[in-house]
Amino acid sequence: MGEPAIAIRALDKYFGDFHALKGVSMEVAIGETLVICGPSGSGKSTLVRCINGLESYTSGDLRVLGMEVGDDTRVLDRVRKKVGMVFQNFNLFPHLTVLENCVLPQKRALGRDRSSARDEALNQLAKMRVEMHADKYPDQISGGQQQRVALARALCLKPEIMLFDEPTSALDPEMIAEVLDVMKDLARADMTIVCVTHEMGFARAVADRVILMADGKIVETGTPEQMFSAPRNEITRAFMQAVQS
Amino acid sequence: MAHALPPPARQTGPLVWLRRHFFATWYDAVFTLVFAVLIFWVLDNVIGWAFVDAIWRVENREMCTHDAGACWAVIESRGRLILFGLYPYEEQWRSTIACLVVIVTIILSCLPVFWSLRRLPVLWIGGFAAFVLLMRGGFAGLEVVTSEQWGGLSLTIFIFAAVFVIGMPLAVLFALARRSSMPVIAKSFGLIIDIVRSLPLLTLLFAAAVVVPLLVPEAIQGNKLMRVVVAFAIFFAAYQAEILRAGLQSTPQGQEEAAIALGMPYWSVVADVLLPQAFRNTLPSTINQAVITFKETSIVTIIGFFEVMASGNAAIGNGEWGNQYIEVYVFLALIYFVFVFGLSRYGAWLETRMRLGHG
Repeated sequence: MGEPAIAIRALDKYFGDFHALKGVSMEVAIGETLVICGPSGSGKSTLVRCINGLESYTSGDLRVLGMEVGDDTRVLDRVRKKVGMVFQNFNLFPHLTVLENCVLPQKRALGRDRSSARDEALNQLAKMRVEMHADKYPDQISGGQQQRVALARALCLKPEIMLFDEPTSALDPEMIAEVLDVMKDLARADMTIVCVTHEMGFARAVADRVILMADGKIVETGTPEQMFSAPRNEITRAFMQAVQS
Repeated sequence: MAHALPPPARQTGPLVWLRRHFFATWYDAVFTLVFAVLIFWVLDNVIGWAFVDAIWRVENREMCTHDAGACWAVIESRGRLILFGLYPYEEQWRSTIACLVVIVTIILSCLPVFWSLRRLPVLWIGGFAAFVLLMRGGFAGLEVVTSEQWGGLSLTIFIFAAVFVIGMPLAVLFALARRSSMPVIAKSFGLIIDIVRSLPLLTLLFAAAVVVPLLVPEAIQGNKLMRVVVAFAIFFAAYQAEILRAGLQSTPQGQEEAAIALGMPYWSVVADVLLPQAFRNTLPSTINQAVITFKETSIVTIIGFFEVMASGNAAIGNGEWGNQYIEVYVFLALIYFVFVFGLSRYGAWLETRMRLGHG
């Protein structure tokens, strides 16, 4: 087995006095799909945001594709070009069309010229089945469509790792499936994925492993099967019951 | 058994409209009549004074008495002084062209096509270079006219445009510096902004015109107009920076995070993502600030610049047209109105355009 995509050792994070991550260690293999779940305030979003340097950590060691994610902004730049991220609130740029949302980062982050950036954008938008909305503004399309555009925008940069921070939590129920469907396609195409979500159907369908976090610590790790049918930990059992009922 | 009644006849037409909006109750009727008389009386007087009884030509100026109408002859006689100040008479065509150049530059920079980091600077630098070259002369046989002789409307518009063009990038810089993650920078720019905002504009301009030459070596003083414009621009920037900072703060945190996560460099996060949204969010206040700045240009009179207001005062100041001050002020008010009203309508147009979702 080669180098892991993400290697985290003894990660600690404080927000002022609040101890958000308490010595978290984990590895994500290349091509693996990892689902992180847990009650709110358990530190799962913070953990994911540390991976691409949106959040700094207090101590520990965090490597992405062998690069140390720390204070060095040049390394951070390289890491961010390899790691895409999709947020709970989509965060599309409201003043740009769907197409421009996908073209601009390619030009600025990778220095692509306009016409090849445009081709790639249309290609990714088509894969996400939103190419017919290319000339609309974000507020003219539904939440599910916006989230798929956000995914297309990230994929235009050809990342090797995708981070999802509760990608379906802000969506109306009828739109959740359309976003999960394209995420499943991505997982089956061997993208390395770290996804914070409570969608256990998604975890069951494509996750290689599920991690449960509580109170800043990893409580239990296992295959979806183990976690759902035979959780060893009391907290896991309670949580699984709550999200599956 | 009840029969369905036919629907009531639709009540339309001007009489019905009048009745509903102006004569619905007895006191509505009273208000309507009183204000109709008042409006008629005012309009009758204004039109009579400004048009019917007005004296237009200088050769009829002996008819300009107190009971006659407006004496617009003063504009024919003194218009050039008002528009050009002390600029030499034979060279005033240059001032006219220079003024048009600045107006065209302003109009072009209002068009969204020019809003790019490449086009705006080229447009602005080109526009101002053309203005200064034309006004100053000293090449191709054009007589040199120093900035002390510049005046009138050209000077007003130039000061406004220069303050805006220098002040806006400064405002962006101040706003970004004040929200910098480095405390030293954030604190010191915060202090600069607050100090400038707590000084009267007049004090700043006086300092630039009179005090700076005492403190700074002559080689880098620049001329008085330049110093005054820069001081004015800093004043504008301090206010506009706070407006922009509010706009930056009202842009959701997620916008910056998404741009960073996409690997966009800092300058692009600011220029492509944050600033366009900050400007959109603060458009009404920004237009407001521009309007205030345009009107405040008249304050440079006090340090000896003959902008349009001062030139207007000069036009009536020498006794010959001393009684026609109302006409001159009405003329000045019209000039200001055209620009300020234009700015307001432009702001309204931009807002509609943005509400429709475009850029």
